[in-house]
Amino acid sequence: MANENRPVPKPDVYVPTKPFWDGARSGKLMLQFCKDTQRFQHYPRPVSMYTGSRNLEWREVSGKGQIYACTVVRVPGPGLEGRLPLSVATVDLEEGVRIIANILGSNSEVVTIGQRVVLAWDQIDGDTPYPAFRLA
Amino acid sequence: MPESDTVIVGYSETKVVFKSGRSAYDFAGEAFASLLERTGVTKDEIDGLSVTLALSEAGNPFFTVYMADALGLTPTWLNAGAIGGCSAIGGIARAACAIRDSMCKIALVLSADAPSTAWRANYGAYRSEFQDPPGVQGPPASFGLLMSRYQHQYGLQAEALGKIAITQREHGLANPNALDKFRKPLTMDEYMGSRMIADPLRVLDCVMFCDGANAFLVMSEDEARSRGLKKMVRPRAYAEVTNFAGNESCPDITESGFWKIAPEVFRKAGMTPGDIRMFQPYDDFTIAVLMQMEAFGFCERGNGSRYVLETDLSYRGALPLNTGGGQISAGQPGLASGGLNLAEAVRQMFGEAEGRQIENPSTAIVTGIGVIPYGRNWGTSAAMILEAANG
Repeated sequence: MANENRPVPKPDVYVPTKPFWDGARSGKLMLQFCKDTQRFQHYPRPVSMYTGSRNLEWREVSGKGQIYACTVVRVPGPGLEGRLPLSVATVDLEEGVRIIANILGSNSEVVTIGQRVVLAWDQIDGDTPYPAFRLA
Repeated sequence: MPESDTVIVGYSETKVVFKSGRSAYDFAGEAFASLLERTGVTKDEIDGLSVTLALSEAGNPFFTVYMADALGLTPTWLNAGAIGGCSAIGGIARAACAIRDSMCKIALVLSADAPSTAWRANYGAYRSEFQDPPGVQGPPASFGLLMSRYQHQYGLQAEALGKIAITQREHGLANPNALDKFRKPLTMDEYMGSRMIADPLRVLDCVMFCDGANAFLVMSEDEARSRGLKKMVRPRAYAEVTNFAGNESCPDITESGFWKIAPEVFRKAGMTPGDIRMFQPYDDFTIAVLMQMEAFGFCERGNGSRYVLETDLSYRGALPLNTGGGQISAGQPGLASGGLNLAEAVRQMFGEAEGRQIENPSTAIVTGIGVIPYGRNWGTSAAMILEAANG
């Protein structure tokens, strides 16, 4: 989904996120993992949301999950040109972590809560992969 | 907040305007000057100031100090209200603590914002990498997600949300401070036919960003009585929580911070839902109103739609709801919005709500909501129970 007006995010502006972006380029969804509690968290934070420690690393997740909530964005906004109506969902991954993502390749009307999804890749400006999902 | 003898002795509010071309300072000045006139308190007696941070002045980290300067105040207690729509009631609660601890004697709690004229906020943080790319820039997408989940778990009747919008619109018709554009009746057909913007969220479920200000004066009850002030409102109890379920990565998003603080605020006030004469909840979206009705125990969890459809929510009814129209029908003056429903509660208790005056306006719940986080409901939840203390 190429879109000249869709800004390509800069990594590392908030916390170090390079593993997420490098992973995306090799087709892997990499999320932050708390080594003390053996749990993932997303979005990435400066510390573990479970313990407050910085004992964190990045690990690949399966990309398999279930739709927790879903909507269809129908109003224009920055970066949305040519993407409406846009299917947006929160997905609970098998690893016990929730991510906001687009559901690609389906008429947005058929996307419903509870459906199984698998990882898919959106392209932000034609060559920057960004994680999304499609119905399994 | 202390089990206090602190009272609100005055309120003032500007008209809500869209793209006024004016600044938050100018609106603040209008509300402030009017408050001095109404209470007879002179400017230099005010030694406490709480200012809600404004979207329109978000680039200035010294906004509160600039505001003190603009208004010619020399406070010995200064507070930045940084919890968005919770900042007005949060400011009253913090002012009560400051007065108890002798940091000041008379506090001004001020909220002014003009985001429809100037938007200078940039939330930064994780948004550009993780929230903007999937298209969740604004609150509607987040609330579409929240509504979809609520609907899935409990069932949600669009007519119930429509009734909230229509009831508040009727109330707004009697509020001369409401945005002019909204001062016409709304029908169920219009609501049901209104544009879907983030399914199942309709445009008439939402607020519109506007400009405006409100201000409150807080002092000890003894001080108020020694000044001969007759109209006063006592904040009986306050509770607040930020980042509810903040250590869970997959929380139930239909459960908000209100589930934690509602029982607490009732306990502190020694009251139950049956003691509440009016409900003035923060209303950025109709679903937030419905979810708060459940959290505060006006009905069972998940029963919000049925309760709304069965209950008279008008100012004459069993549970008068946002009797000034709320933000949905008066307009949302940016982050000053938290003071809008508080002003209406105080106005009702002063007996000044012409055209929509509640009989026996002895108690009220006013709430606040601040910021919409990643994939949840809202960041800060706050609630205050007030009681009339006129004498």
